[in-house]
Amino acid sequence: MALTKKEVEKIAELARLGLAEKEKEKFAEDLSSVLGYVQKLSEVNIEKVESITGGTSLESVMRKDDETKCISDPQMRKQILSASPNREDDYFKVPSILD
Amino acid sequence: MDLKNLTIKKAHELLKKKELTSVELTELFLKNIKEKDGDIHAFLSLNEEEATQAAKKVDERISRGEPIEMLAGIPAAIKDNILIRGTKVTAASKILENYIAPYDATVIKKLKEEEAIFIGKTNMDEFAMGSSTENSAFGPTRNPVDLERVPGGSSGGSAAAVKAGFSVYALGSDTGGSIRQPAGFCGVVGFKPTYGAVSRHGLIAMASSLDQIGPIARNVDDAAAVFEIIRGVDELDSTSVDLDWQDYWDSPLDIEEIKIGVPREYFIHGLNPKIEKNIKSVISKLEKEGAKIEEISLPYSEWALATYYIIMPAEVSANLARFDGIRYGYSTINKEERLQNLFDVYLKSRGKGFGAEVRRRIMLGTYILSAGYYDAYYTRAQKVRRLIKQDFDRAFKEVDVIITPTSPTTAFKFGEKTQDPLSMYLADVYTVSVNLAGVPGISIPVANEQGLPVGLQLIGKNFDDVKLLKIAKIVEQLIKEMT
Repeated sequence: MALTKKEVEKIAELARLGLAEKEKEKFAEDLSSVLGYVQKLSEVNIEKVESITGGTSLESVMRKDDETKCISDPQMRKQILSASPNREDDYFKVPSILD
Repeated sequence: MDLKNLTIKKAHELLKKKELTSVELTELFLKNIKEKDGDIHAFLSLNEEEATQAAKKVDERISRGEPIEMLAGIPAAIKDNILIRGTKVTAASKILENYIAPYDATVIKKLKEEEAIFIGKTNMDEFAMGSSTENSAFGPTRNPVDLERVPGGSSGGSAAAVKAGFSVYALGSDTGGSIRQPAGFCGVVGFKPTYGAVSRHGLIAMASSLDQIGPIARNVDDAAAVFEIIRGVDELDSTSVDLDWQDYWDSPLDIEEIKIGVPREYFIHGLNPKIEKNIKSVISKLEKEGAKIEEISLPYSEWALATYYIIMPAEVSANLARFDGIRYGYSTINKEERLQNLFDVYLKSRGKGFGAEVRRRIMLGTYILSAGYYDAYYTRAQKVRRLIKQDFDRAFKEVDVIITPTSPTTAFKFGEKTQDPLSMYLADVYTVSVNLAGVPGISIPVANEQGLPVGLQLIGKNFDDVKLLKIAKIVEQLIKEMT
């Protein structure tokens, strides 16, 4: 299992991660070694085994959509908004998404 | 004052008897931190003012003759991926370097109701990804036992703070061993509760089906005292479970009623023979005192680490997608003169904000979850995860608790494993199964090998946390008698 530099570039793009040119070789090597190790799972017979889909056996836990539970006061709202690096009034501002 | 050995119970007595005020106690710890944390670097930030204010309030209550809660007025250190409102929370990452928590984590809310004192935020591997704290963007923590060695990780700062006498107890988080392994390396007690026992609301997510908050403390009683406060169902964490918990403080267990399983897969190649000898001598002692010891098998243990290194990065890549340079955190959006498009903002903010290990795991997860590979990796791993869980279900039909080493080695030196990520991952080989199965696990110190602490791990049945703690207390007592 050896990833090429090109594959690393593709994965980084999907993951929205900028990589420096000189890091790419090292990442290719590291990722290949871990992917090589996890290949070990092909030794296990998983026929008739069902997937686990989470940490508990709880299903469809519901609660009321009550915003006061999460954002309980105006001060908190202000703090959340002011953490944004680029804002106009109560909106997050992003650069143009169409070229 | 012997700050290194001050337990919750002792501190509580001192406060109640007015031999010491909470303000004095808090100042003693702060003084100790200022004198010694330059060498150890357990803390990323201190909460001096808030801590002193909170301590004053407790002192006022005591002077009015009011009864106080067990944890009231006692300084605690909090891992820097747990939110305290109005306080910086970085997850030891550059991407959150200046981020202020807008709300309290549920565990913090609960501790505030007890009037606990938060003395500071502790260092960790970036986003809890690592086993040594060497992945912290703000420099590693040193092991107070031996400054040349790592404290373990990712909750290395919390374990070091408790060991060094910087706080009475600490909170950590454990995704694959991040509470138990550093507790083992530093010679303190570290407890990972059952998945769902403690709310994860306000814990910066790493791998949501594995993460759990728990205490690091000086003894089992203290870990239990903290657990009693932080556990419980929470509307803001839909995976938290509503239960009537047993009382830890009622009648102790009788050693002759305990059945202990020794999994043969945990005592094989790769385990340091001196650690094996130490764990085995505790097992012999337990048997001599009347506990029933049974050799058991957890046949899928061999595939636990590989399963973990698929499921964990998959969840990491999804959880860390929220760091986009737009809503909060480090961003290049205003930093470059050339007009950037949105894609550039993502690439550059995330590329510069995340360290190498975090990017490695995000990329692994992205690859594993990508079209064409999803079934071969992720679905397969989820199936093996079920087999691992069934191993434990089967074992706990026979035994009350499983005994293993916490780690295959004692604390290693800085730089020993940083060049080869896979060798670092192997440090978690005895701890990851517990998270995959969701069961509770605790590490308690056994002995010192050439001056370095050895950790013993006890694993319990799902939601049998209180029984596990009671058994841990018995084992702790026996270890004391042995030395």
